[in-house]
Amino acid sequence: MRLLADIVLMPLIAFITGLFLVLMYRRVRAKIERRVGPPFFQPVYDIVKLFAKKTQISHGVMHDLSIVLLLGGYITAEIFLPVPGFKGLAEEGDLLTLIYIMMVPMLGLALGVGSCANPNGSIGISRALTAMLAYDVPLAVAIIGATMTYGTTNLVEIVRIQQEGGMATWGIATMPLLAIGGYLAVHGMFGKEPFEIYIAPAEIATGPMVEMSGKYMGALFIMQCFQLYTIGVLYVTLFLGGGENWPLFLIKVAAVVFISVAVTNVYGRYRTDKVVRWMWKWPTGIALLGLALVMAK
Amino acid sequence: MSELDFLFAFAAVLIAGVMCCGRDGRAGWAAMAVYGAMLVAVMAAAGKVAGGSIPSALGFSVLGHKIGWRMDGLGWFFSMLTAGAAFFASWYAAGEWGRAQPGMKTQHLLLALNVAAMLLLVNAGDLLSLFIGWELVSWAAFAMMAQKGGPAQPAAMRYMIYALAGAMAVLAGIMIVHAVTGSFAYKDFAAAFGAMSSGMKWLLAGLFAAGFGVKMALMPFHLWQAAAYSETPGASSAFLNAVSARMGLFALILVLVKVMGLSALAGLHVPLIGLSAKGLLMWIAAFTMVIPTFIALMQTDARMLLTWHGIGQGGYMLLGVLVGTGLGTAGGLLHVFNYATYQMALFLAVTAVIHRTGTSDLDRLGGLITRMPWTYVTLLMGIIGLAGLPPMNGFVSKWMIYRSLLDSGSAFLLIFAFVGTLGTILSVYKLIHNIFLGRLRPQHEGVREAPWSMVAPMLALGGIGFVTGWFPGLALNLTDIAQAAMGAPELPHGLGGVATARGSLNMIWVVSILLVAIGFGAIVFYFLGNRRYEVNQLNNYAGGHFLSPQVPYQFSHEFYPGLARVIGPWYRGSIVRAEQGIGTLLDVSGDLWRGIYHLAWTPLYLLAATVIALGWAIMGGM
Amino acid sequence: MTDKPLKSHVRPPQDTMPGGAGQGCPAPDAQTRSIWRRIMDDFADHCRARSLFVLHYCTGCGAIELPPTITSRFDMERVGITPMVTPRQADILLITGYLSLKTLKRVILSYEQMQGPKYVLGFGSCTINGGMYWNSYATMKRLDQYIPTDLFIAGCMPRPEAVQQVLLKLIEDIDAGRANAWQDYYRNYDFYLGNQQRLFGAGWNTPTDVIGEARHYGYYGPGTEGEHTRLLAEGGGSAARLAHAEYPSTALTGRIKS
Ligand code: SF4
Repeated sequence: MRLLADIVLMPLIAFITGLFLVLMYRRVRAKIERRVGPPFFQPVYDIVKLFAKKTQISHGVMHDLSIVLLLGGYITAEIFLPVPGFKGLAEEGDLLTLIYIMMVPMLGLALGVGSCANPNGSIGISRALTAMLAYDVPLAVAIIGATMTYGTTNLVEIVRIQQEGGMATWGIATMPLLAIGGYLAVHGMFGKEPFEIYIAPAEIATGPMVEMSGKYMGALFIMQCFQLYTIGVLYVTLFLGGGENWPLFLIKVAAVVFISVAVTNVYGRYRTDKVVRWMWKWPTGIALLGLALVMAK
Repeated sequence: MSELDFLFAFAAVLIAGVMCCGRDGRAGWAAMAVYGAMLVAVMAAAGKVAGGSIPSALGFSVLGHKIGWRMDGLGWFFSMLTAGAAFFASWYAAGEWGRAQPGMKTQHLLLALNVAAMLLLVNAGDLLSLFIGWELVSWAAFAMMAQKGGPAQPAAMRYMIYALAGAMAVLAGIMIVHAVTGSFAYKDFAAAFGAMSSGMKWLLAGLFAAGFGVKMALMPFHLWQAAAYSETPGASSAFLNAVSARMGLFALILVLVKVMGLSALAGLHVPLIGLSAKGLLMWIAAFTMVIPTFIALMQTDARMLLTWHGIGQGGYMLLGVLVGTGLGTAGGLLHVFNYATYQMALFLAVTAVIHRTGTSDLDRLGGLITRMPWTYVTLLMGIIGLAGLPPMNGFVSKWMIYRSLLDSGSAFLLIFAFVGTLGTILSVYKLIHNIFLGRLRPQHEGVREAPWSMVAPMLALGGIGFVTGWFPGLALNLTDIAQAAMGAPELPHGLGGVATARGSLNMIWVVSILLVAIGFGAIVFYFLGNRRYEVNQLNNYAGGHFLSPQVPYQFSHEFYPGLARVIGPWYRGSIVRAEQGIGTLLDVSGDLWRGIYHLAWTPLYLLAATVIALGWAIMGGM
Repeated sequence: MTDKPLKSHVRPPQDTMPGGAGQGCPAPDAQTRSIWRRIMDDFADHCRARSLFVLHYCTGCGAIELPPTITSRFDMERVGITPMVTPRQADILLITGYLSLKTLKRVILSYEQMQGPKYVLGFGSCTINGGMYWNSYATMKRLDQYIPTDLFIAGCMPRPEAVQQVLLKLIEDIDAGRANAWQDYYRNYDFYLGNQQRLFGAGWNTPTDVIGEARHYGYYGPGTEGEHTRLLAEGGGSAARLAHAEYPSTALTGRIKS
């Protein structure tokens, strides 16, 4: 029974938090551009509007299934996240499982976009996967370093270790270099400038989203909510001590997203190969240094 | 007669049967039945090998040494894979695919020979029978690749050069062992190994590792396999890729891990760089994981791409086994099993595409999902396994390998493992996208789904992959037996996976929740919003351009241009150059050899060479 | 170019026009809906009115007025209006000014690829009556002859304030459930197609199966099919099918599924 509640509530909370994060993202962006920004319910309006479209264009069964996989993959990921007050299933899978579950929606989306038969979409996926290869290397180093430090891949344990020792045992304090490298990777994961090569509206017409309309697009908007939340929680869990209680936890998650949003506006867009080079050079270098320090301890 | 004798008898009967009436249309189904019976026989022997080993009556004696065969847990595990892979390959070939092939009798025969050779290899009772089996497998595989008139001949020639070089190294190793211990038995070798000088240990480990490593296409010797395996006709190449490619791994496990022992290898230090022989091998495995994977990423032919991945996956298996903990060994062995299921499914799916469209060139396909949906499903399951994502079985074994690397503190090796997996994801997406997604080409309008005789075995393999991903305990029960025979520590596990103090995996939960969540996703998607309307492929955004089939509107060539700019120069600089260099070398030496090989029926030479080699070994050992 | 409608192309009477009583149309009108349905529709309209993605079709001169409308000076995002890139994602098709024959074809293609409810805004006098290109040989004069247009913005060129005003008017209309011009394209497809054919010739065709969609979504009206759509069928159906005539096709002609 408790599990059932978790399965329903955890993704729901993730979604609602995600809506706030999207709102924050758009508001902050507007403020930086000296605009007013969207109204409070804007993320909800967008999603409802898209689902309420009266004609829905599909490019075949795989196109539909990809959306299902996309939502399913992220909902699964939410249930495996350690959040305050919920047991979820964080004990049954671990950090490694979570990382790979997070790739399921990505693969699902990629398959659906491919079946739209639009080369803009295919290019978008090609770039998205290349970007993934780029940012996942430093992320992997950071994650490995963190698990080496904590001595476990059990997410609940990782959170417990940091909370029992207080701020001084937070990942960001015990392994600052890994935290920095990991953060740069996370910024890439958010897919914001200068790493938004796979959206690139002026180049490839929003890449994966080019043929997405109506509820297909709506599902992508939902995915964005989940994505911001999941990545934020992952980083908070690894480096910021996880959540003691909901308010603190949400503040931390919001902070992770906020920093990324706050810096993104000043950048242009990198070329794909530049992204790979940059990611493999700076964040990976920093993280490797951090890993070496961790290993030397 | 023991179970092992039954197996050998089955194989012999099958060879004889195929020889006399392989041309019959029903030969394929009969062969499939025999392989099925073999599989059943192997499974029935599970209880027996779990406790000890099964001797065979087969054997002979050379100069006072009894040379024989016996099946222990490790041999059992590989026998099972052999019989299983042969079963699915022959099932696939029994129907329409086989009828469409020229010279199907030869293919039946070669498959039977390969199976027999593999059985002789994996159930070898001592070093000499191991070598005999080794040579038989090499030559049987060679014959399979170099079928008369087949396009694979140059590749097969190249393979032969490598194989011979490897065999020489192995033979030299066996000779030395014999010279020192005066016996071919594993246990004498194992007993004597500890007392040897470290130079001697290095020499032996080096010879065996190099000799077997060639077959496994370990890093410095990796250049032959892709070309050789990928050009072989469909079902046979699936067998080669799924099983024969793993014989090097089997021999490495047997000699280096089981006989020499990992602790002995760990005690061998490389001067200056602070690595042990074990560490060195692990790093070789790590590079084998990454570099072939990225070479695979650059391929434009589906079969080449898959074979390069096969090489890369070999690195994971070896790495897991070398870690040596219960988790690592089980992970490595489980990966052998998992790999056999998904690689076989992938190859069969690609063969189905070739059967229908006549090409496996990734730049000349696209959009086949509407035409061959079941093949697509198989390929999808296969690539999820190959990429190591949940819910397929590939994820479980990779997770175990990652976990064991973390436990043993090998952070940097783990980074390699991650990077290899990432590269695999990119490359398999390219595979599925370029064949099945995107725009359907006009010339493929009339393509139909492959017949059920081909689709059924493919789906069955995919199904095995899914079920053993959901309940990995099923497959772990099999690896347990091999693990016990290797003398590796046991791994306690449940039906759903492994629970350790430092992070556990319960696939029953993971997959079930994934399915439930996908159900949620389906509810959100299908019940909210209006009905969907499926449009044609030309109704597509093209910046206001009117599309027609005459307008090429597909992205498949050079699928990862950004990445290619980063790794391309390196790829062209080292890999392609090395390929060309070896190609020239082989052309020169090939001219010398070709005369001999092409004169008459190759197996005759096989026999001659083996006999000569044996004689030499024994004389040298005297 | 003269594009005075031919006799048979005269627009249907006003009461089948958008926002009218909707004679013979299967979509339920405001009075017969159940309470629940009405609440849902009102909620959807509420959200639609507050979330509008715009596809700018910027071939005319007026494009220059849009950056100030979007960016910090006037900030359209305040009322939920965001620029989008492809017709699939967009709700509003904003036509900034004159359309040559060539661009009109693209506009129609893009319009058909948008998902309903969709709104068309004609921007500048060129879209209303031809404006200063009135006697040009290469531009069309009245946009609403070719695609149903919700609102026009008069002026040459209209200032951002005017653009904003019309957007606010559109929001008001959507909120009240009045902005249904897009349904007219399905219901009176024959009329629009006829006008298009007069400019582009009888072979004119787009890849979108408008009639099929109209049937699928219940917007099929007496004006959906007629003599012009018959021409379409004679030509082999949509452009996709036309171009595919040399081989039989099923994948490329799309199946209807619910
Ligand atoms: S209305 Fe005036 S400003 Fe607008 S396109 Fe026509 S001529 Fe240009």
